[in-house]
Formats: sequence, structure tokens, C-alpha cells
Amino acid sequence: MPKCTINGKAIEVKPGTTVIQAFKAAGVEIAHYCWHPGLSVAGVCRLCMVQIEGQAKLQIGCNTLVTEGMVVNNTSEPVKEAVKWGLDFHLINHPLDCPICDQAGECGLQDQYVHFGKYDPEMAMPKQKKHKVVDLGPTIVLDTERCILCSRCVRFTDEVSKTNELGIFNRGDRSEIGTVENKPLDNNYSLNTVDICPVGALTSKDFRFRQRVWYLKEAASVCTGCSTGCNVNVYYNEEGAWRVKPVQNEKVNGYWMCDKGRDIYKFVNKEARLQTAKVGSKDQWRLLEGGQAAKDVGDSLRQVAKTEGADKIALVVTGQYTNEEYDSLLDFFNGTLAVKNVYHWVNNPEDMTGFDGILFRGDRNPNTAGLKARLEKRGLKSDWLDLEKKIKAGAYKYVVVAGPENNSVFPDLESKAKMMSAAPHLVWLTAAKSEAVDSATTATYQIPLKTFIEKDGTYTNHVGLEQKVKRGTTIVAGALTLSEAVSLMSGEELDFSLRPKPLTNLKTNFFTAKRGEL
Amino acid sequence: MEVKLLTEHYGKAEFQSLEGYKKIGDGYETLKKALKMQPKEIIELVKASGLRGRGGAGFPTGMKWSFLPENGEPRYLLCNADEGEPGTFKDRMMMERAPHQLIEGMIISGFAVQSKKSYIYIRGEYKDSLRIVEKAIREAYDAGFLGKNILGSNFTHDMDVYSGAGAYICGEETGMISSLEGQKGQPKLKPPFPALKGYLGKPTIVNNVETLAAVKYIVRDGAQAYRKNGTEKSAGTKLFSVSGNVMKPGNYEVPLGYPLKDLIFNLCGGLKPGRKLKAVIPGGSSAPVLTEPEAMRATMDYECLAQMGSMLGSGAVIVIDDSNCMVDLLNVTMHFYHHESCGQCTPCREGTGWLHKTVASIASGHGRLQDIQLLDRISKNMMGRTICALSDAAAMPAISFVNKFREEFEFFVREGRSKVKGEGFRHAQMHH
Amino acid sequence: MSIVKRPKVESQWYLPAILSGMALTFRKLVQNLLHKDRLQTLNYPEEKYEYSPRFKGNHVLTVKKDGSLRCTACMLCATNCPAQCITIKAAQHEDPSVEKYPISYEIDILRCVFCGFCEEACPVDAIRMGPEWQTPAISGSNFQNDIQQLAYRANLKGGVQSRLDDQERHKAGI
Repeated sequence: MPKCTINGKAIEVKPGTTVIQAFKAAGVEIAHYCWHPGLSVAGVCRLCMVQIEGQAKLQIGCNTLVTEGMVVNNTSEPVKEAVKWGLDFHLINHPLDCPICDQAGECGLQDQYVHFGKYDPEMAMPKQKKHKVVDLGPTIVLDTERCILCSRCVRFTDEVSKTNELGIFNRGDRSEIGTVENKPLDNNYSLNTVDICPVGALTSKDFRFRQRVWYLKEAASVCTGCSTGCNVNVYYNEEGAWRVKPVQNEKVNGYWMCDKGRDIYKFVNKEARLQTAKVGSKDQWRLLEGGQAAKDVGDSLRQVAKTEGADKIALVVTGQYTNEEYDSLLDFFNGTLAVKNVYHWVNNPEDMTGFDGILFRGDRNPNTAGLKARLEKRGLKSDWLDLEKKIKAGAYKYVVVAGPENNSVFPDLESKAKMMSAAPHLVWLTAAKSEAVDSATTATYQIPLKTFIEKDGTYTNHVGLEQKVKRGTTIVAGALTLSEAVSLMSGEELDFSLRPKPLTNLKTNFFTAKRGEL
Repeated sequence: MEVKLLTEHYGKAEFQSLEGYKKIGDGYETLKKALKMQPKEIIELVKASGLRGRGGAGFPTGMKWSFLPENGEPRYLLCNADEGEPGTFKDRMMMERAPHQLIEGMIISGFAVQSKKSYIYIRGEYKDSLRIVEKAIREAYDAGFLGKNILGSNFTHDMDVYSGAGAYICGEETGMISSLEGQKGQPKLKPPFPALKGYLGKPTIVNNVETLAAVKYIVRDGAQAYRKNGTEKSAGTKLFSVSGNVMKPGNYEVPLGYPLKDLIFNLCGGLKPGRKLKAVIPGGSSAPVLTEPEAMRATMDYECLAQMGSMLGSGAVIVIDDSNCMVDLLNVTMHFYHHESCGQCTPCREGTGWLHKTVASIASGHGRLQDIQLLDRISKNMMGRTICALSDAAAMPAISFVNKFREEFEFFVREGRSKVKGEGFRHAQMHH
Repeated sequence: MSIVKRPKVESQWYLPAILSGMALTFRKLVQNLLHKDRLQTLNYPEEKYEYSPRFKGNHVLTVKKDGSLRCTACMLCATNCPAQCITIKAAQHEDPSVEKYPISYEIDILRCVFCGFCEEACPVDAIRMGPEWQTPAISGSNFQNDIQQLAYRANLKGGVQSRLDDQERHKAGI
């Protein structure tokens, strides 16, 4: 274990650690663009300059291994001067169109300039003109003028997605990122290149121009797009959620996430949501408060269980809820009401074990493992054909469905909803509004639920790793969590003091906070 | 005095063919001698001879060879014939006049480093060299000097040529390796050095044409004989490509340590009548320029030139007389480096362009006084900040031009015109 | 410790104050009758006061030479607005040299405090505060000024042209 001193701070690192990693480990700030912990070393931005005692020349931190007794600093005058000039070289041909650049506010160039630059530019020559607004594919727009050619995106497609679409064309300051013969950059991991782009050269078509990043707050969460459970940040404001970005977790997703997972912000927004409870059937819906609807349903269910027996009630559960919600749901139905007919709705049985080799899994529910474990613990066996048969035979009076919150991953939603609406009473608990349920012909209750960003809970991913999510924001105020709906059904009142408080570590708006000083 | 060791038979056309090489020269006799020696012995011999790399950096060749790891991995020997340095044309002559001399030197070197495969990476524009070297390799194969079990020994060696696409940066050893691997010709991060991980990730030795050719004579005559020429630290002879405003430009082989003054005024016939020497670039366009008094004192060896703040480089001596405008010259030089920067490292990618644009604006009469200072500062901040030395190669001439001929730059900025109105130098030499 | 000022006895003798006030009134009355040009008041709304061109009145969105909006939808004005009265929706322009432009730009003039921060924040001279100061309207929705109102209202006579021009900047290599 080599010991080294970084800016006067002694630290012990693993053998094979580079100087820049040692800086990160010591918590010392160091300028860099091209180095990314999840990619190979390119050593081209030349910003991570450090001075190693005993060496005359400055070295780059990313390609220098820590040796025993090494004394390194990045605070000496030569280093400061080198970094300042390194930044200047990056910026001389940069268009500086921050006002219309989507990266402004989270841009490496802006950050590094404030931290390490702050000089008066001396470039007086015309800037190099390159291509702007290049359509790279279905997800990404490229601006080659803003590009600082750090080659992170190229290395990403070479090393992580292994699709090799991107390359650097031409030489010198005419170099541009591009694809061969305008072949599109089209893979399920393409948007990671936008995340790792330190400047605004690669921008996501989905997010482009829709919000300025300083209007957004971020909430740490877990991707509910599949059973991998990538760690993510959801960016939201008072209007709703706008985008999802991966957060590093070596145990789960490394630094990346797939493009499909980035769509999970779409179903939490108001336009996709069931806003209030509805009671009735096709074309004749009466609106009412979610809590009232849950109470009404609970009264009828308890009545049925008492008079006609629990066998008249069927519970259908999807793998989209948290462990805590499953517990309270099963406690009420299986425990209190003694319902034995609990069915696990598997949305794509033929592809449940699919895996693309990187992150994306065929099981597109966040918590199938958690649900299965809980059903097993209670000795409940789910047999979907049995449900279909019994509904047809009219064995069930009430079918209660804890439906999907992400409708887009349930291709069988319409057919299953139709099949279940053959029962005399249908209770549909879900966050999403859906045509399929709206056209149900039987007596139906639709009760609005909260999505993953609006509640606390735990998801169990495909290997059984339990990951907590915290409430970030509220998008549909009238919605209930499944646990709340169940406790109302069981006749209890809600204690709102138990509701999780919104996150307090919100990013303050820099411009508002610093108003008057700028 | 010229000492014709490598260039002894260059005047004779038949020396190009194997037949002529056998008849006039000593054929492949040295190879036969070498194959009877131990590889280690040859490396020691080359070490003892004090041979230093003739491509530019002047790194001791024997030392380079001894860096190869003993791990049984296949090794590659690459001959760097991507002669891109403006002002240099010695490798071309060596390949075209005496291809067999190079091939023999390479087989001996290949035997010394125990490599089974070697490549000659020839500059893209050198179509003739490519044709001639290819033909010579074929002759060597036919005569059994290449291929399996050369001359009955158990040494097997294959040789191939590879034509570059005309990029200056592919003359840098790791850039050349990238190009040879089929990738974009960009230098690689060091460490690891090519001797450990080079071509296809295997240990690789890259040597200049002249270095490899000289190995033959070291093995033939012995280290002491080779050391007779040159100085203590810069042993042997060296080819100098003299160009510019001299009466007889061309390649001259002289012992290292030869006075620059004699090279220009005796061997090359001096300047045009009525002209005065203004400056000399002693080692290709990337070497810092020498003023006239410096050039009069200089001797052509690694140490003296380094002491003067310049370098021997590839031995391209560019003689500049008083009819040339230094601003114009620097503009052309900077245009070259701007065009040739591979674009990988930011200081070089952006700095070469910045330098070129700034010099061009001075040369077009739109310069500002602070631009002169700026040129110096940009250059100093490009030095030693990149993966390869191209950034330094652009910065060094800029620094030396601006500091040694400042009054010319200042005059241009003040008056908006050149201090020296002379015929353009650029079309003659520097512009491809 | 605060000092309490008690009213003096003199202030209770109200007659002198009334008389001096009336004297001023009558003096002005006579002055105004004799010198109409020195009148201190205006017959609003028939007569209107002309403020200096630097007065921070109603907002104007400037236009380019071709008459399109100068605004690039950077949202710095909206960010800087203390009253949060500016709402912008951005979109991608067909012309890559323009790239981003506002499809909707609204100022809630009733919330606006006319501080001028939007003007100061604008990097491209797209929003200015002009000398107009009247903001009457009949219904509440009329106070939600849109692009049509901000850039092309009748009294701007086809729009105010920005002094910054992209084409010229591109030519200059900026």
C-alpha cells in the first residue's frame, strides 16, 4: 500500500492507483475533463497537471501511478499557471454560447473556469467554425463547436456500449466528433454520452431546451424501469419531473444507465397520471377523493369477506411497488381478510430473464424479487390461469388490482384489464391513467396512487439487493401510497404526520441566492 | 571534410540493385558475420559504438534495445522512414540510393533484438522510395537474406513496407505504431513505452533509417572504428540535409562535431554572392533558430547545439540569408504545425492554431504589439504539456524567432510591412 | 431607547396653520390664472407626460433585421426576475445559426415591479424597458403580455431593432 502526500495531506492508496484517483480519494479538487473513472485514460485534456516533488516537468495526474513516498501538489504556481493556460486553450475556439447551451449551469468549462481560471482571455483571432446542430441519431444532437474533444463519448461507445459508432474525424483544431457516413448513434446506452460530455456538445433531444438546469432540483432514487435497479437522480421542479440521470454505484450500475430507464420520469408527470379517484364504469365515471374511494372499497370488501367469505375476493399484484407497500397490502388482504387468492401479474413472462449483457433486463419491474419473496413467505401460490378460469366462472365478486404505475412496460394491459373486468366488481389501484381501465364495463373503482418519486420505500433488485428510495416531490397531491390506501380500506384513519417530509437538501437557485452579488 | 561511410557509393546508380550492392559494396557479408555473433554481443557492440538515434531525439540506440523485456513475447522492429520534418531529405536518399544497405542493417538489428518481423514505415509522399525498397526486399528474399532460416542459421526474419498517408505526426514513434495498427495516426500515452508495449501491444523497437543503416557499419568495422569519427559523446558520422540559401544544397555526410561554419561555407559553397548569413535552423524546422554569430560558433553535435539552446534534430540545416523576412518564415512554419497537429491534446490542437493565426495576422500587417509577447507566452505554455513533442516542435521555433529577431516583428507591427523585402523563402523549401 | 416626541402646545393652535395654508392656495390660484404656462399639473389623459428615454417603463422585445425576435430564450431574464413574472417556452429553430428561440414569451405585467433586472440580465439586448408607462386594460388576461404585444404592438411601428446582429457577429468570427 503506497503512501503519498497530496497537498500536504498524507494518504494511503491501493497499488496501481493513479495520482488523480488519489486526489479524489483524498477529497482534493483537481481540474480534469477527459478523465472519467468509468473509462480508460486518454490523457488529452492536459488539465490534471500536478507537480511531483523531485521531477522538473509537470505531470498529468491521470496517467501517473502513485509510488511509495510520492509528494504531489496541484497548488504550486507552475501548476496553477498550467491549468489556467490549459483552460484558455480549451476556450479559445469554444463559441461561448452559454445562453443557448443546455449544459449551462452544469458545464465543466463553467465550473473549471470559476474554480481554476478567472483570467482575461487574450485570444483576438477569429474562432474556428465547425458544424452546429448535427443530428446524431434518435436521441442526441451534437454541436461540434462546443466540443472540447475530450473523447469521453468515443471511449464510451468503444469500451462500455461496445457499439463503436463515434469517432474523431479530421486533425488539429478542425477535429470533429462524428459517425461514419452519418450512421446514427442508436443504441440503448447512447444518452450516457450526454451525461459524460463535460460541455454542451452532446445534448439529449428529449431534454433539449425544455428547462434550464438551475430550475431543477434533484432527488436520489432508484430506476424503476427494470429489475436492475440502477441508482439515479430524478430532476424535477414544481411542474413535474424532467429527466433522469445515473448515479454511481459500483454494486449495481457503475456509472451508467440505459436509455429506456431514462423514460421513467414520463409516467410520473401529471399528464400520465390518474388525478382523482373514479367510480362507475365505461363513460359513466363519477369523480371523488381518493381517500373516500378507498374507504368505500374497504367497507364493501370487509362486508363481502364477512358475509360471503374471503374466497369471493381476488388480489392481483404487479411487481411495481415497494416492499413496505406489499407488506401492508398482504397484511390486510391475506392477514385481516384471509384472502388466499393472490395473483402475481407478470407483464412479459417470455422475456422475464432477458439481459442485454450490460444493465438492461427483460423483467421490467423494479421489485419482482421483493414481491415473490413476500408471496413465498406467506405460502401464497400464484396461478394466473386459475384467475382467468375463476373470473370466467364467476367465482369472484371483487377483483382488487394493484396495477402498474408504468403502463408502457405492460403490453398486455388492455387484454388483462378486459379479462378482469368480467368480474362484477373491479378495484383498480394505480398511479397511471389508462384507456383500458377507463373502458371497463363492470362496476369499477379507480384509486390514484403515488409513484416512486413521491414515496419512501424499498425495492429489491434482481440479485436481492434492497435499495431505499426517498420521497423527492409531490406531483399528484390527491394520490395515496398503496399502504395509505390499504390502511384506509382497513378502516383506519391516516396519520399525515407519518408522511415523509420532502427532501431538505434541495439545491438552492444560485442566481436567486446570490442576487445582488453577481 | 566529408567522411563517406554510409554514402560511399551513393553516386553510383547500380548500387540500388542487389547485384550492384554485391559488386561495388560488400554485399551481405556483414550479415553473415553478424549471424555468427550472439545477439547480446551486437547490442553491446552498438552500445560501445555510442550510436545515437538519428531521427531527432538522439537517444542512445544500444540503450533503447536493452530496454526490451525478457518475457518471450514476439518483438517488432520498425524502421521509421516517415521523414516529415521540413528540411530533411536524407532518409529518402538512403532508401533510394542504397536500399540494401538499410535492409542489411535492419536484418542485423532484427537479429540483435531477436525480432521475427520488421516493417519499414515509409512516408506517404515517397512513392519512389516505396517502389525501390519493395523491389530490394523482394531481391533480398530471393537471395535468401530474408525469410526462414536466413543463410542457414536458425534466425527467421520477415520484412514488409508500409506506406503512410502523409501525416507528419506519424513520424513520432507511437503515432507511427498507431498508424501501422490501422488506427488514426495519433501518438499514444507514455508510459508504457513502445519497448514494453508497442505495435499490437508487443515490445517494439523503432529506429530511424540512418540509425539502422549505421548498425551495419558498426558490426562490420567494430565499435572503435566507428568511434574514430565524431566526438566523445556524439560518435560517428551523420548525414546533414542542407537547404536554403546556399550555393550547393544537398546531403552531406560529416563526422559529428563538424563546425557548422565549414559545412555552410566550405562544403555547400557558401551563400549567394552579396548575401549575408542571417540565421540557421540546425535541426529541422522544429529546432530553435541560431543567429549568425551563434551559427559561426556552432559545431554539429548533440551537446554543442543543446548548449546553445537548439538541437541537432534530424540534421536538416536550413540556411537563411538576409533576404528573408523572419515573420514570413515563422508564419509558414506555424502554418505547417497548425496543419499537422493531430488534435489529440488540447494545448497543441488549439495552441498551434492560435500561434498560426497570430503570426498570420502580424504577417498580414494587422498585428498588435502585444501579439509578439503573446506568441512567446502561448509557446512557453505549450512546451512539455502534451503527449508527444509536436507541441514543443511548434513552440520552440516560435520562441526562438520571436526572441532572437524581435526587432523584425516589432517593425512589422509598427509599419505594417516587412523589414526585409526579399523573395519568398517559403515556396522554395518549406511548403509541401 | 426610543425618544418619544410629545406634541407641543403650539401645535394645538391650529388657526395660524390654516391661514398660512389658505394663503398658499390663493397665491397659486392667482399665479395659475395669470401664468398658464407655468402650471404644475397636466390634464391627464388628454395631456401626457413625456418621460426620458431611459425611463424603465413597459417592456419591448427587440427584433433582428429580418423582423424576427432577437431573444434566444436563454431564460436569464426569467431567472433574474425578482417578481417571477416572466414565462418563456423555448424551441429549436430550423436555422442552425439561431438554434434556440422562444415560441412563447409572456410577462405578467401586474406582477412586474419594473426593476429592470431583465434588461440587465439579457446577454443579447433582446429585452428593453421603454418609455411607455401606461398599462391599462379591461380584463385580467390583458395584462399577460405575449410576444405579439411585447415586440410588435402598434406603437412600436414594426418593432425595435436590436443593435446586436448575429450575422455580423458570425462574420467577425465571434
